Amino acid sequence: MTAGTLPLAGRRSPRRSFSRLAVWVLALCALTVVGLAAFAYQVANGLTVTGMRNTMMWGQYILFFMFFVGLSAGGLIVASAGRLFGVAAFKPITRLAVLEATVAVMLAGIFILPDLGRPERVLNILLHANRTSPMVWDISIVITYTLLSMTYVWLYTRADLARGGSPLALGTGTSPREMARDERLKSGLAWVALPSAILLHSITAWIFGLQISRTFWHSAIMAPLFIASALVSGLALVILLALLLRRFRRIEFENDLIRYLGALLAVFLVVEGFLVGSELLTAAYPGAEEAGPILRLLTGNYALLFWTEIIVGLVVPFVILAVRRTRSRPGLVALAAVLAVAGIFVHRLNLMLSGLSYVRIGLPPGVSVGTAMPASSFASFHWYVPTVVEWLVVLGVLAFGALLFTIAVLVLPLREREPHAH
Amino acid sequence: MPDKVSPIKALPPASRTYGAIGPHSERPHWGMVIDQERCTGCWSCAVICKSENDVPLGAWWNRVLTEGEAVDQPKEEHGHLGMDWLPLTCQHCENAPCVKVCPVQATYHRDDGLVMMDYERCIGCRYCMIACPYGVRVFNWGQPERPTPHETGMVAARPLGTVEKCSMCVHRIDEGQVPSCVWSCPSQARIFGDLNDPASRVSRLAHEGRVLLEESGTKPSVFYLKPRRKREL
Repeated sequence: MTAGTLPLAGRRSPRRSFSRLAVWVLALCALTVVGLAAFAYQVANGLTVTGMRNTMMWGQYILFFMFFVGLSAGGLIVASAGRLFGVAAFKPITRLAVLEATVAVMLAGIFILPDLGRPERVLNILLHANRTSPMVWDISIVITYTLLSMTYVWLYTRADLARGGSPLALGTGTSPREMARDERLKSGLAWVALPSAILLHSITAWIFGLQISRTFWHSAIMAPLFIASALVSGLALVILLALLLRRFRRIEFENDLIRYLGALLAVFLVVEGFLVGSELLTAAYPGAEEAGPILRLLTGNYALLFWTEIIVGLVVPFVILAVRRTRSRPGLVALAAVLAVAGIFVHRLNLMLSGLSYVRIGLPPGVSVGTAMPASSFASFHWYVPTVVEWLVVLGVLAFGALLFTIAVLVLPLREREPHAH
Repeated sequence: MPDKVSPIKALPPASRTYGAIGPHSERPHWGMVIDQERCTGCWSCAVICKSENDVPLGAWWNRVLTEGEAVDQPKEEHGHLGMDWLPLTCQHCENAPCVKVCPVQATYHRDDGLVMMDYERCIGCRYCMIACPYGVRVFNWGQPERPTPHETGMVAARPLGTVEKCSMCVHRIDEGQVPSCVWSCPSQARIFGDLNDPASRVSRLAHEGRVLLEESGTKPSVFYLKPRRKREL
């Protein structure tokens, strides 16, 4: 049975599962087209169709950009840690994990585009690159990391592709020499991939953390914090995808693995909580002006979001994963993983909102909003709400990502062949 | 940047003399001193800036902030009521955070210290707005709306989806004239000139003045003279 003919839903008849797959793929295509249309509408009318203004100049697109950069961490932890530290238990999900990383980092790159006021000039970043701009560093590492993860995916699936006679093997074979070369390359790549992953999250953090204009962001903890958030959300997503694909019989593993990954996720949650707490204490302790954005976060406009992040995103999943009995039930681990991913999303939302909603020279009447307003064109605070257009664009990109992932799952052998073949 | 011919040459000689930059060094570093003692909070500078540079509705390159709780609301200090203003525009920093972060070098330094924008290169990522601690950059969110159906001012309108900001009226400086806000200030609270020329008035006053957010190390080219006496109301 070649990878391409495996039915997506194991127990159902091939025909019925094919039709369900077709509906799924068509829905994703439709959503992608809707997203593209929304993007075209935005390009024609300008970013005025978004909820962003001069008082909140970055919004949903950059939020999803940093969220997806974080999600791409999962694959590399599983793949590199498995190889560098000899964790053999990860083997059944390694291919899935690197595939997840590839799709996530590609989506992160795509999310930069709709944020630009002049997306047609995006190549200027390569043509007139400014070496001192963290954004240039970040785009470089996003491109590097995308290529690296794609190489990884191919390297891990190449031999099985070759066995199935797939053209995706690019003419390579399964001779002992080629198999030995695979192992050498995988080990070598792990040594490059792990530092790249750390750089990817650090540089993304530095886009925010190096700015003296944003007191809430200007902190050395940003890079470690971004790495921690990435580990949490990336691993949680890998757990979810692994359970999902096991349901669809695309991969196989024992429940022990989920318990193991759950424990690891609990550790990552502790690190995340520790860094968030440390940052908040350091920022809030001096009081006065510096504590402004913190107080807003703890008690003000964004308090509900903040406490959601802490309780729903950190405490609840940690408790589920810390207790051995609940950790042994895959359903509950999945719930914890959903909460952890959502928690990191809200964490990044809070980071964005509290960083940007604070003006250093906050004297009245404030900053000019940027579009003609009936009463005053100035404001010092702006309650950012993404518009329908922003949601449609985001939905379109997400659907495109899901489409890529689905196709990759259908085309690539995610299950290792050797144990069954021999 | 300006693709219009400045009509400054056509101004009457008295007007041109009044607005002339005056003597300066061979390699000038343009700077400005804003005397908060003289500022009356009339917003003339902000308004003339809008018409001079054709800044669309909803956007301002130049603002007059009130040092207090609300616009034009006096604040109490040592038992007296006082009221001071802080005119705020691009500080043309020597160590400009915006120039550092711009991914495409669309915002850059001219040799005379001015922080400039290349509107044909800007990709509209708004990273410069994130980086600027003074909040003086504005983005063209939509098609510009104007109070009149036609463009106004001495410079070309900026394209949709780009960031714009004060150019220190570079089109006037290149014609030997001071920026529009300096020229129009009724109380002569703004002093413009060459910071590289130690004998210039702006250099002498800059030594007495302070810069905004000095602790951030941005090295602005705009200096402020603090209000020197208490206004009792």
